[in-house]
Amino acid sequence: MSGHLILALPSKGRLMEQCAALLERAGLTVVKSGPARGYKGEIAGLPGVEVNFISSSEIAQHLKNGTAHLGITGEDLLRETMADCDERVTFLHPCGFGQTDVVVAVPAAWIDVRQMFDLEEMALNFRRLHGRRIRVATKYMNLTRRFFAHNGVTGYRIVESLGATEGAPAALLAELIVDITTTGATLRANGLKVLEDGLILKSQANLVSSNGAPWTPELRNLEREVAARLAV
Amino acid sequence: MPAEAAQKVEALAAQAQRLMATFTRADYEQIAPAIIQPAGLFLDVIGENLRARTYVFTDPDGEELCLRPDLTVPTCRLHLARHPAGDVPARYCYSGPAFRYQPGGPTSAHPSEFRQAGIESFAATDREKDDAAVLALTVEAVREAGLARFDLRLGDLGLFNALLDALPMPQRWRRRLRHHFWRPEAFRAELARLTSREALQARGVPRELMDALDPDRPEAAPNLVEGYLERSGLELVGTRTAHEIAGRLLAEAADARETPLPSSAATLIEGYTALKAPAREAAARLEALLGPHKLDLGAALAAFRRRLDLLDAAGIDTTSATFAAEFGRDLEYYTGFVFEIVVPELGPRSPVAGGGRYDDLLADVGAPTKVPAVGACIHTERLLAVLGGGAA
Repeated sequence: MSGHLILALPSKGRLMEQCAALLERAGLTVVKSGPARGYKGEIAGLPGVEVNFISSSEIAQHLKNGTAHLGITGEDLLRETMADCDERVTFLHPCGFGQTDVVVAVPAAWIDVRQMFDLEEMALNFRRLHGRRIRVATKYMNLTRRFFAHNGVTGYRIVESLGATEGAPAALLAELIVDITTTGATLRANGLKVLEDGLILKSQANLVSSNGAPWTPELRNLEREVAARLAV
Repeated sequence: MPAEAAQKVEALAAQAQRLMATFTRADYEQIAPAIIQPAGLFLDVIGENLRARTYVFTDPDGEELCLRPDLTVPTCRLHLARHPAGDVPARYCYSGPAFRYQPGGPTSAHPSEFRQAGIESFAATDREKDDAAVLALTVEAVREAGLARFDLRLGDLGLFNALLDALPMPQRWRRRLRHHFWRPEAFRAELARLTSREALQARGVPRELMDALDPDRPEAAPNLVEGYLERSGLELVGTRTAHEIAGRLLAEAADARETPLPSSAATLIEGYTALKAPAREAAARLEALLGPHKLDLGAALAAFRRRLDLLDAAGIDTTSATFAAEFGRDLEYYTGFVFEIVVPELGPRSPVAGGGRYDDLLADVGAPTKVPAVGACIHTERLLAVLGGGAA
């Protein structure tokens, strides 16, 4: 709706609850409203803000396109969705939840592969022996490509994986993975280890402002109000 | 991409016709490989850099397909469909669209949908002669299309390979340096590592295993690795075997015992990769670099000179061509001679044509052995833009 500050929040799960609690503590109580089956809301006592509940991965897309002014979502999803993330959005406030690391993980038994450097040479041998490139299972295709290119690793192929990525090596669907981990327990349980220099991103949920949204001076005032209350 | 003006489409079609007339007159058979290609094979041979720029999609049967990002691999596939061994001499030419995603959005010099006109020559045994013939024909084609002034940039991976072969070092080091040639940063890092005894020894392999591994008894290594993994409670998941892991650990054990590369050799390699000179002077400059090391690149240097002579004989002015050892292409598959035709209007990052030798590609696509191959392609939109035709 034009004239409103559109705030995009996760529509389900723990992230939705944590966002609501964070905003509540800052005195910004989110109230669901309207006929749209609970996918719309507003903030009590702060007219002019329209809350849209959207899935986390789509929030990044809305901030990229400028169809939301503000949003809360994971930095991993923001950087995956936008190669030029820092130009398209402004990070206003780290939320202190949704912490996760995006990492490169390989079978722990690969005692000959400890760093990204080893990966490139191993990939070379692998191709000679197996006649194909090593496969990396991930849902973070763009983060993977940028990180591997930055580290001079080229001899690989990405296999898109939308769930249970950590099982891909054992299922022979990929040789290694790029995935999120918090404690590393899931990786260990699947016989995987993180490469010594394989941390791609330390991510958490962030309040982010879209640089491409239709901003007016009034909406900037509202943005400052929301950011100021969260910063306390 | 907005629709093209009818005028430009016609100008491109007329230009393509002239280019193909030049190619077919030289006995290159005109072919039209499929635009839609199987993604798997294609993506395996072109590497992740170009893969990131390839339009990949899934058809209703779940088959992964792609829009061809170039016509060289499709031409290899067509050749192998006719001659599974690949070793029957053949010369092909083509003209048609290719597709590449352009990060940051397409521009007129880097469109996401463009037409390539090119030639590929397979299984010719006289490599220098074929290299020169392909470049000469490419030059003839752009000249006949109307391009009067251009610069020629040459490179030769054969010289680099010969230099590495002439310097004493383990074969696996040569393989690594060759592999990193396209990536200057990784190349310098690897060179620094090979010249440092500490760097060669400072690897994270467990001491007990490193001491037990004997590079002179490689057959014992897989069992040692399996024993170590079992004692450490590490389960071997996935495709790689203990044999493969042992192979790399043996190389590390050998590296740790190896005499590092002398810094004079590293300086020579760096001196070569920095070499940039008029093509006719490059060979002499390289010999001057080699002199103090008492090294002789023999056949590779002779091949380099012979190719220049053949180009001269074909009417190519090699005195104004430049040679750059580090002359880089964004396709990893080149293995020998490489060249680009550039014009000042578009700059060095947008060559009008380019090509080179790729002796490994047919084997990568499925030929049972390596097959000599050299080819070139013309970026027809750029050529038309330089000639001022079909005003966009």
